[in-house]
Amino acid sequence: MKRLTFRRVLWTCAVLVVVLLGAVVLALKLGAVPISVTDLVLSLGRVAIGRSAELPSQFQVIVFGLRLPRIILAIFVGAALSVAGAGFQALLRNPLADPYVLGVSSGAALGAILSLILAPEIPLVTPAAAFAGAALTITAVYFLGRREGQLDGSTLLLGGIITASFLSAVIMFLMTTLAGRDLRGMAFWLMGDLSTPLPEELRWVFGVGLAVGISAIYSTAADLNLLLGGENEAIHLGVDVRRVKLVVYLAASVLTGLAVSVSGAIGYVGLLVPHAMRWLVGSDYRVLIPASALGGAIAVVLADTLARTIAAPTELPVGAMTALAGAPVFIYLLRRRMR
Amino acid sequence: MSVQVPPRRIVSLAPALTEMLYALGVEERLVGVTDYCDYPPEALKKPKIGGAVNPNLEQIVALQPDLVLAQALTLNRRETVDALERLGLAVYATSSQTVEGVLESTRHVGEVTGSGERGEQLVTQLRERLSQLKQRLAGRAQRRVLFVVWHEPLISAGRNTFLTDALRLAGAESVVETSQDWPRLSLEEVVRQQPEFLVFASAHAEGVERTLAELKDRPGWRDLKAVRQHRVAIVSDAINRPAPRLVDAIEQLARQLHPTAFEEKSATQNSSAMADEIRSVATRTQL
Repeated sequence: MKRLTFRRVLWTCAVLVVVLLGAVVLALKLGAVPISVTDLVLSLGRVAIGRSAELPSQFQVIVFGLRLPRIILAIFVGAALSVAGAGFQALLRNPLADPYVLGVSSGAALGAILSLILAPEIPLVTPAAAFAGAALTITAVYFLGRREGQLDGSTLLLGGIITASFLSAVIMFLMTTLAGRDLRGMAFWLMGDLSTPLPEELRWVFGVGLAVGISAIYSTAADLNLLLGGENEAIHLGVDVRRVKLVVYLAASVLTGLAVSVSGAIGYVGLLVPHAMRWLVGSDYRVLIPASALGGAIAVVLADTLARTIAAPTELPVGAMTALAGAPVFIYLLRRRMR
Repeated sequence: MSVQVPPRRIVSLAPALTEMLYALGVEERLVGVTDYCDYPPEALKKPKIGGAVNPNLEQIVALQPDLVLAQALTLNRRETVDALERLGLAVYATSSQTVEGVLESTRHVGEVTGSGERGEQLVTQLRERLSQLKQRLAGRAQRRVLFVVWHEPLISAGRNTFLTDALRLAGAESVVETSQDWPRLSLEEVVRQQPEFLVFASAHAEGVERTLAELKDRPGWRDLKAVRQHRVAIVSDAINRPAPRLVDAIEQLARQLHPTAFEEKSATQNSSAMADEIRSVATRTQL
């Protein structure tokens, strides 16, 4: 492994930011309604110099009212899921771990479905209930995953998996016995979907939660590197393993809960992006975490652009896109690593 | 919601609403429909805005509609309606759980699209047809039917759907009594209930016949008298849509369930339920 310098971290991030900006411009241009590059550049220019009022109104609605909020949501969700995935992979010391492995998404889905059955008319109730469901699941799995007073990787994994499948069973039960009109959008929700933009009231909550979650995991990066060599070794090197595990568990769970509560369970991103980034930038968590955040954002922005355009005007759920593209990429990375 | 000037560019977010707009004669002003709007066939040529549950918002905006019609509760999602309203579009949402509700929606859609008079006429005609049908069926026992929405797994319609209400108006009562809209049923419960008729909705009678041929040897299904005696009514899939054609489907179903009620002379008053059955079997075989 090459020695990691601060410079290299900066360079890696700079390159990824440029790629992300490219993906954003592409996502702003492409969609069911064709928009020429000239129009897009002109309007971006107008916005840049603060004369957005001169834009044609329809154009403004499509590019800035519909596409941009969706892209911002894609960036948030992609970053949250990838960092959570990297965190869970380190915490559980299992390369197959993804943000949903411990049942957070099932808890969120159960919260969402209950809100749709009980009180669909209250505004913002679905994301709030989804987050509450995720939080309750996180707490329950935390207690299931403790052994001798601290989190234990394999106990946590088993506790999480059984919780996830129990919650899925409850969801199935509710969906078949209470199946009615309001559950129509539920399938989209379970598959992951970005078509509902983040409500303005929630934008700040989400942004702050994302920043806190990612920073918390980043603050443990050096310790996570030492944990790669084994738990006992890390303890001997002076790592407060108990605290690190708790921080990573809570932060990764909250990131997943936030993402699921606004977009449903988008698969593969949290599993795949950290692996792809390990291959690109190495497995040092000090560069892997920011790279995963950016890489996740790029992946979801591109996947959602595909979902919006591939069968336009019909929109596909973004989860179907990430799974379609994700599985082959995963196999590719796997084969490459074995060689 | 009040629309001062009749809208000139209308987008429909549901097949039933598209049918309604054609029935109201405002199809010229219909500028966008869903991928599933297939009736009348001309509707297929209109610009598409995606599915009903996941319509493409930017495509809707690009069509510059001054009115968007949505079928709330039973088809379109609340998020869709909210998002369109946030974008400053006028959305009119209908929702009907009864046949009467469907007629009322038709009248309201007529009003908001500036074809109120035509709407009134249409609804009056439909009401007239329903009341004639009611007179014809007066005094006849309701047929106990199972409406088969899907056969594997068996799914029927619950009591709060306009579909079950439509069955009632066609002289039938559903053997299913549940507040769930689209319940999954256990076949053994159906065997216990022994419905007099099975009702299928399909545009293709041959498809239903093929399904029946398959089902008739299966346990459970072969224990249904209606299957053994082939007492099956096949109605147009219009019965699934809360649109004016629903009344056609109701009449069609009534004819199959109560054929003697539609004979010209009322001399056959003495015809028993038995005769009804024989004739209905005969009608089915002709199809």
